[in-house]
Amino acid sequence: MTLKAAKDEVYLDLQRHLFKEARMLSAERYDEWLSEILSDDIYYRMDMPQRRFREDKSAVRAPAKTPIFNDDFASLKVRVGRYKTGFVWAENPMNASRHMVSNVEVFETDEQDQFKVYSVVEFHRSRLNSERKRFTVGREDRWVKSENGYQLLERLMTLDDSVVLDSNMNFFL
Amino acid sequence: MEKIDDLIDFKTGRQKRLIYSDAEIYDQEMEKIFGRSWLFLAHECQLEKPGDFIRTYMGEDEVLVVRQKDNGLKAFLNTCTHRGNRLCKADHGNSKSFVCNYHGWSFSYNGELTGVPLEEAAYQNNLDKSKFGMIEVAQIASYKGLIFATFDEKAPSLEEYLGDMKWYLDVWLDAMPEGTELIGTAMKVELPVNWKLAVENVSGDGYHLGWAHAGAMTVTAESDIAGLSVGNSEVDNESAISVAGMNGHTVLAALDGKSGYAFYNEYQMAWDYLDQNRATAVERLGEIRGEKMWGSQINFTVFPNLQFLPGLNWFRIYHPKGPGKFEMWTWAMVDKRMSDDLKEMILNNVSRTFGPAGMFDNDDGDNLQAATEQSRGWRTRQMDIYTNMAMGNEHSREGMPGVISEGLVCEQNQRYVYRRWLEMMKADSWSDIPFYNNLEEARATEDK
Repeated sequence: MTLKAAKDEVYLDLQRHLFKEARMLSAERYDEWLSEILSDDIYYRMDMPQRRFREDKSAVRAPAKTPIFNDDFASLKVRVGRYKTGFVWAENPMNASRHMVSNVEVFETDEQDQFKVYSVVEFHRSRLNSERKRFTVGREDRWVKSENGYQLLERLMTLDDSVVLDSNMNFFL
Repeated sequence: MEKIDDLIDFKTGRQKRLIYSDAEIYDQEMEKIFGRSWLFLAHECQLEKPGDFIRTYMGEDEVLVVRQKDNGLKAFLNTCTHRGNRLCKADHGNSKSFVCNYHGWSFSYNGELTGVPLEEAAYQNNLDKSKFGMIEVAQIASYKGLIFATFDEKAPSLEEYLGDMKWYLDVWLDAMPEGTELIGTAMKVELPVNWKLAVENVSGDGYHLGWAHAGAMTVTAESDIAGLSVGNSEVDNESAISVAGMNGHTVLAALDGKSGYAFYNEYQMAWDYLDQNRATAVERLGEIRGEKMWGSQINFTVFPNLQFLPGLNWFRIYHPKGPGKFEMWTWAMVDKRMSDDLKEMILNNVSRTFGPAGMFDNDDGDNLQAATEQSRGWRTRQMDIYTNMAMGNEHSREGMPGVISEGLVCEQNQRYVYRRWLEMMKADSWSDIPFYNNLEEARATEDK
């Protein structure tokens, strides 16, 4: 399938949205993320990778992908609600987070107002006794243009690490 | 090393904190506990066809579990017998041979060394290949779908090792005629935690639920999920039990027959499944297990490092990586008989509650990490620490194996886990390790 690049103004607009979203998530402004960035029909998914031999022909029998996140708007709201209780002790004091978004590409889709957006996120956290944690994912998004501006309709990610190297994933990428 | 008897006191529920940080003690654990116990390797369903393999660990030793041509199972150290390189780097898959990347030695999936490059020119045909096959574990056996192995040829049979714990395990493993399966791949997390702190938490610690998981408990309750009200101040001691005293294995179990699905968004689908299959469970397991336990929230601990929780339906193994580190692997577990929709709901619920981004699991890591780190300091490591809640409540119940105390908020199970730890750490061989499956036997073998 050949992908058709979106117009420059769409590209710039969506890139602005990605950066704005990154700053929002780093600052844990999750209510704004839910209301301003996400579509009510959001599908948000991150999978664990599988380490398999390239030549292995048994892939068809391989176990189903195991999701780390497999969320819709309601379950994301529950996750956000957990942070808002004030009882998530791991997040107090607040951890320092940076979402770095790069390699942004924007393409048109069959739907006139929907765009496919590829990006890479490098996520840094400094927490506890100055521990530094780093996660990287490639993202495949679908954004929709509505009267309220662009909203995130779908985000598919696979974590690069086959073993999660932090004691929690109290964040969104 | 400190005098070993001073590290644990079963009578007072005391542990010396250096057991969570001391490298010498950790090395002893690898030899005396992980080197001799039956350790979980894989579920039968993960190794369907000849050549199917899984790469896992027994203690810190990497092993390959491989389905054989005759449908039997073998487990090998994942290391080349020539210069020691890792043989297989994939997590799982299917292969009829394992070829070392270093010099190209090639092993059949039955473990035989079949190919050696330059065998004639360099070894002058003097290499006896039959002596350089992959190294097998001492014993391998399955219990109702779960594959275990031990490095100790003198270890008792798996059945004897599990003892009367089998009676409880069957609530999950044998309730339905088709058996159980694990779905998806392992969710793997590395934590800077001593392995025992994670095991004791799930084996018996109902106490932390209401506080450590207060955030998750609050929001799941708000989204109208049926309540398992195990808060610190709202304990119902009558409807749940802690069971221990079965060769170190433990059970925490609610007895209402449906609370296992309390943290699910769409628990009605699971409750319908329970209703539809209750009669089968009762027929196969009898009244107590079929009516009261099947469908209840249950925590199983198979000593030393396997834990699985019917209801929440997660299945977990801990692989130690030094005194202050382990990897934990978590799967979703289901009855084969369940519908695809129900299986998918369970997989999603496991990842939302106890996966790497699970709302409950993400509350535990920092607490256990800090408890590990705080056992390292020169002064702190000399401290005693206690699991002395609800001492003296232990009793027997007619028709149920093990030593039983009421309630989920009770530290009986942790005391028995540490008792087993000490029994194995002290013993020179399996003949010095006591077996007990009820209160009478547990008392008779105390301090042996």
